[in-house]
Amino acid sequence: MKPLTSLMHSVWIAENDLRQSFKSVRHVVWSLLFPIFMMFTFSFRYGTTGPDKDFINFLIPGIVGMTAMFGSINETMSIVWDKSLGVFDRILAAPVSSTSIIVGKTMAGAVMGVISALVLLIIGSMLFSVTFANISIVLLIILLASFSFTGIGTIISGLASEPREAMMLSNLLRFPMMFLGGVFFPVESMPMPLPYVSRALPLTYATEALRAIQTANTSIVFIDALVLLVYTVGTILLGSQILMRIMTR
Amino acid sequence: MDNAIKVKELTKFYGSLLAVDHVSFEVRGKEIFGLLGPNGAGKTTTIRMICGMLRPTGGTAVIAGFDVSQKPLEVKRRIGLVPDVSNLFGELSARVNLEFMGKLYGLDKKTRRERIDQVLELFQLKERQNDLVKYYSKGMHRRLTIAAALIHRPEILVMDEPTSGLDAQTARLVREIIINLNKEGRTILLTTHQIDEADRLAQRVGIIDRGSLIALNTPEKIKNRTEGMRALEIKILNGVDQQRWIPIIKEAEGVDKAFPAEGKIRILSKDLSQIIPTVVNLVDKHGGKIENISVAQPTLEDAFIHLTGKSIREEPMSKEGDVRRRLARSGLR
Repeated sequence: MKPLTSLMHSVWIAENDLRQSFKSVRHVVWSLLFPIFMMFTFSFRYGTTGPDKDFINFLIPGIVGMTAMFGSINETMSIVWDKSLGVFDRILAAPVSSTSIIVGKTMAGAVMGVISALVLLIIGSMLFSVTFANISIVLLIILLASFSFTGIGTIISGLASEPREAMMLSNLLRFPMMFLGGVFFPVESMPMPLPYVSRALPLTYATEALRAIQTANTSIVFIDALVLLVYTVGTILLGSQILMRIMTR
Repeated sequence: MDNAIKVKELTKFYGSLLAVDHVSFEVRGKEIFGLLGPNGAGKTTTIRMICGMLRPTGGTAVIAGFDVSQKPLEVKRRIGLVPDVSNLFGELSARVNLEFMGKLYGLDKKTRRERIDQVLELFQLKERQNDLVKYYSKGMHRRLTIAAALIHRPEILVMDEPTSGLDAQTARLVREIIINLNKEGRTILLTTHQIDEADRLAQRVGIIDRGSLIALNTPEKIKNRTEGMRALEIKILNGVDQQRWIPIIKEAEGVDKAFPAEGKIRILSKDLSQIIPTVVNLVDKHGGKIENISVAQPTLEDAFIHLTGKSIREEPMSKEGDVRRRLARSGLR
């Protein structure tokens, strides 16, 4: 099959996925409500002005990274839902290569992660006037982070046999990641051996990079971006392997 | 095109579970071929392998000249699959669903629009085309599922239990649709566990049981496979519990099979003239009175019972085994 046709198949599969996610406004609002709620709770608890401005500057990048994680992983869960509703069969019966299906699902996950993170980024920066030194690098980090979370999502949805199992597995990963990924507390302030755990999580690198952009600390941004890239490649390769096995039984 | 589908020694293991066991058959171009068998017999697994959605453990399936293991995409392009459960995107409208399918099958924008209008019209869904599919009735779901399988004008239509779970009226409509599609020159492979459906629709029938194909012919010829066997139906007065009489009647000399059939007892035998008096005497001896006795034409069900020793309506295996099989098939282990 021509590469362009394969790519278009992926685009359509992604479009179809996202269309469903955005079709129900409720779904979108609910999924964004959680990070928005977390943002307000922590900003009220710690204050947003004067010397506390430091905290909000710390918090917003963390929330943005976390939102990308929730958005991407949620979106990839569609694979498990599709399987359980039988709609995955519809795509399997069509003349579309397995690779196109995986690429399409990955694209949908990444796009969802980026869009969700951007909404929180806009709300956060407008309400609390948080600024970033370079917005295009911010976008790049969000994109890389979203891809790596999507990879994790595909692994989960490949391993889970039904939606409930997928939800449990993803929560098992998301919630510890949220608290250990440096969203609300700096990794350095965690007691041993938690910093080591943190360093194993992609969210840690995403939040660290977004904060480093604020202070224009290029070397940290560069290293974190590299780690996220490695994470992306690794998780997506592993996720595709697992999905491929399911599709070509 | 002589043979639209050529299946040879097709076999599928799910782990250690043998779901399809060296099945071979051919579907001729432009015919309606029915795979008949009880639930869990391996019908769906067979067609999933034919459609390139499941890799066979052994054997081959050649569809429109393409081996499905080697050219799955070529095969998929030529097949329209109507699955046993309607699997459309509930959160999207009918039109968007069809649009998506059209895109996956490589139709350009103009063709897509034309074909979508056409099938929506044909299946009387035009007025509700922009409603979300999740609000559709069962019958509309089924019609849309068939419409979606026709969007790329496939040479071959594969339908898994096309009328199961539908009310009588919708089932009749679907059967009409199938006959019309066949008249237009499309080859149709359908599976069913309903004997009368196979009898009414299919020009040739393959009977599948426990993963094996046990008969393959026209419905007429399969009925004759009862090898001179004739059918007798009796109704016993006050015999509310007809079941009680079955072991008694089975004991009679010359009775090959006896089983309940819609409130009556159906008896298969080679020699009716001999068994009619025997059965009448036997029932009388046990204190029963025969209310009605009639000679019946052998049906596909008789042939099925003759071949397998059990009714197609019975659960062929334990519930657990059936569930295991269904889970394995759906990829949910």
